[in-house]
Parts: sequence; C-alpha cells; structure tokens
Amino acid sequence: MFTSNPFAELSVFLPPLVMQVYIVLMILAVVFGTLFDMFHKSSFTFFVRQWKATKASATVPLSSANTASLAAQTLLKEVATSGEFCNPMRRLSHLLMFYGFLLYLITTVVMIFGYPASAAIPAMTPAIVPVLWNIGAVMILIGGYWFYFFLRVNVAHEGYSRFQLVRADLFILSLLSSVSFALIWEIVQAADNLLATKIVFGIYIFLTTVLFLGVPWSKFAHMFYKPAAALQKRVAEANGSSNLPRPVDVNHMGR
Amino acid sequence: MPTFVYMTRCDGCGQCVDICPSDIMHIDKTYRRAFNIEPNFCWECYSCVKACPQHAIDVRGYADFAPLGHSVRVLREEEKGVVSWKIKYRDGRVKEFTFPIRTTPWGSIKSPADYDAPDAGDLQSALLAHEPEALKVDRLPTLPPSNKNQE
Repeated sequence: MFTSNPFAELSVFLPPLVMQVYIVLMILAVVFGTLFDMFHKSSFTFFVRQWKATKASATVPLSSANTASLAAQTLLKEVATSGEFCNPMRRLSHLLMFYGFLLYLITTVVMIFGYPASAAIPAMTPAIVPVLWNIGAVMILIGGYWFYFFLRVNVAHEGYSRFQLVRADLFILSLLSSVSFALIWEIVQAADNLLATKIVFGIYIFLTTVLFLGVPWSKFAHMFYKPAAALQKRVAEANGSSNLPRPVDVNHMGR
Repeated sequence: MPTFVYMTRCDGCGQCVDICPSDIMHIDKTYRRAFNIEPNFCWECYSCVKACPQHAIDVRGYADFAPLGHSVRVLREEEKGVVSWKIKYRDGRVKEFTFPIRTTPWGSIKSPADYDAPDAGDLQSALLAHEPEALKVDRLPTLPPSNKNQE
C-alpha cells in the first residue's frame, strides 16, 4: 500500500491528464494568490521602501559579494533551519512541516507527471517515491498537529481553547485536513471500494484546493515575505543602517 | 510613549503577551503576530520591548505632542546581562545608554511554579512564600518574644 503510486491507481476512473492540469492550476493559484497578496497588502511597496531607506542611511557600503553572502546566510539559517524561532519546540515543529511539505509536494509532482498511468498500461513507479510521499505526509501531520494543539501562540499564551478557530488557522487547518485525507484516501483505495475511494478522493481534492486557493486569505505568503524581512535585517546590521543599539563591550560599559 | 510591533519582525512567540502587566499585548487573529490592542492603556513600562527576542517592538509618542520621526530601540543581551537603549530625536541627535539588568545568569531564577505549593499552615507565618530559603538566608530577623512580653 505505501510502496505503490496512489495517483497511478486513479486512472481507473480519472485520466492522468486531469490530475496534471489540476497541478498546473494549483501552481498558478499560488503564484497569482501570492502576487495579489503582495500588492493588496502593499507588502512589496513596503519592502522596496525599506530597502531604499536602508541603502540611504548605510554607513558601511556593501559589495554585491557581501550582499550575496548575507543572502546565503539567510537561506541557510532563516529558511533552511528556521533559525528565527526562539522557541526550540516551534522550530522543530516548523522544520517537520517545512521539509515534510517539500517532500510531499515534490513526490506528488513526480508521481503525477513522471509516472502517469492508465488502466491499460500500469506505470511502474519506483517504490521509493511513494514511500517518500508517505514520509513527507507523516512529517507534516506530526509537526502540524503538535503545532495546532500545543504550540499555537493564542492557545499556549493567550488561553484560547484548542478548538477555537481564527482566520490565522486557515493555512494550518487546510494543510492538515488535506494531508490527513491524502493518507485516508490511500488506505481506502487499498481496500478496493471504488465508491468510498471516489468520495474520500473528492474530499481530499476539495481540501487541497482550499489550501492553494486560500493563499490571499491565509498565511501561505509568509514563505516569501519572511525570508525577505530576514535578509533586510541582516543587510541593515551589516551596512550600519540598523537603528538598534550596538552590542556592548561589557568591559567598557560607559558610553 | 506606548509600544507597537513591527509585524515583519515578530515571530509570534508570545513572550510580550506573557509579560505585559496591562494585558494589552495580544495575538492578531489574521496573521498570528503580536500587537498592542489598546495603546491608551499602555503603562509604558517597556517590559515587552525588553522581552522581545526579535527586537520587533518599538515605541512611539502620541502624534499631537511627539510627531513621528523619533525612535526608541532596545537591544537585550542576555548572556552579558545588559540592556542597551538607543534614542533618536527628531532633530537627528542620537543617545545610547546601557544598563546592567541582573546579577545572576539568565534563566537561573526559578519561576513560582517550580516551587512546592505552600500548605495552609503557612498562612499563620509572618514570612512570605518560600522565605527564607528563596532569599538564600538561614532565617529572617524578627522581634524576639521577650519584647512582646514586655509590652
């Protein structure tokens, strides 16, 4: 069950082209949703204005190599290892979701485009791809449910009920429900009940569509603006335009 | 001058929510980032400014008597036990101050929840909770019983 391509078995009732078109539509939804979000909230304008202000008040000129080095550091720390989180539990949960989502997304695309199946010619997907798809899904679920029930700041620090929903939950809830139904669909499909498979698959596609179409209203766009903010902070510290106090030499406290 | 949050820098850790004595630092329902829900009720204690590990909280005066253009920024360096302030005036002057904030290592103070709960008999004691051991002394000076008898 966990070593066979679940999308190949869809060909019993759905041509592979339909899923391929669906993936393209979802990619377009993310691209346009993010662009809409950036312009609607003026975050693009904000970052450009901040960037210009940072350059104008710089006291140490930065070369292109320096800026590239800062971008690489941002990529390594803030993006690849979620280094901005001060709470190690949140950092671990975020890393599980981040890498789980990447694994799940990449293997989904590989299975749908690389091994399109039809009922007449069963595709031979290497077992490692669906195994990685399942591992990615489980990583998202572990990190996601841990975050949802125990680490959400409004639950952990504001005393909200775990079941009280706010708009900020749209992203995490649609992600968790979509991935949960992906695994349920895989299990139901293995049970060879075509009607149940169709129903669960329909719910899975609906929730996945909510996840990607909800980009302008959810926190999805943070994937793009958080690295931009982190890079801007590093550049401001490096070129002397940061308005934060200088770190102290404790042996010479007087200023 | 009440506080406000730079939303792009906040990572939603909730430390300002915990420390605010006025309970006005809350979490935004759309972006799950902290914000000051009622600047008029800000005590201006700057606890949140100092507590924020992301340096995401700044202060600004009310526009009628302190038009924008100034800034008050804080850098807390836990391992050094100091907090530094950088005050920028509207005319461009900048002043920086550094203060020691503690005499013991960061994180070494036990929170109240780490102590055993006192029993009901402690209500009869003149000592406060966890005294005298929390003060690292054997006993606290009290009036000798003989003084009381003389009254």
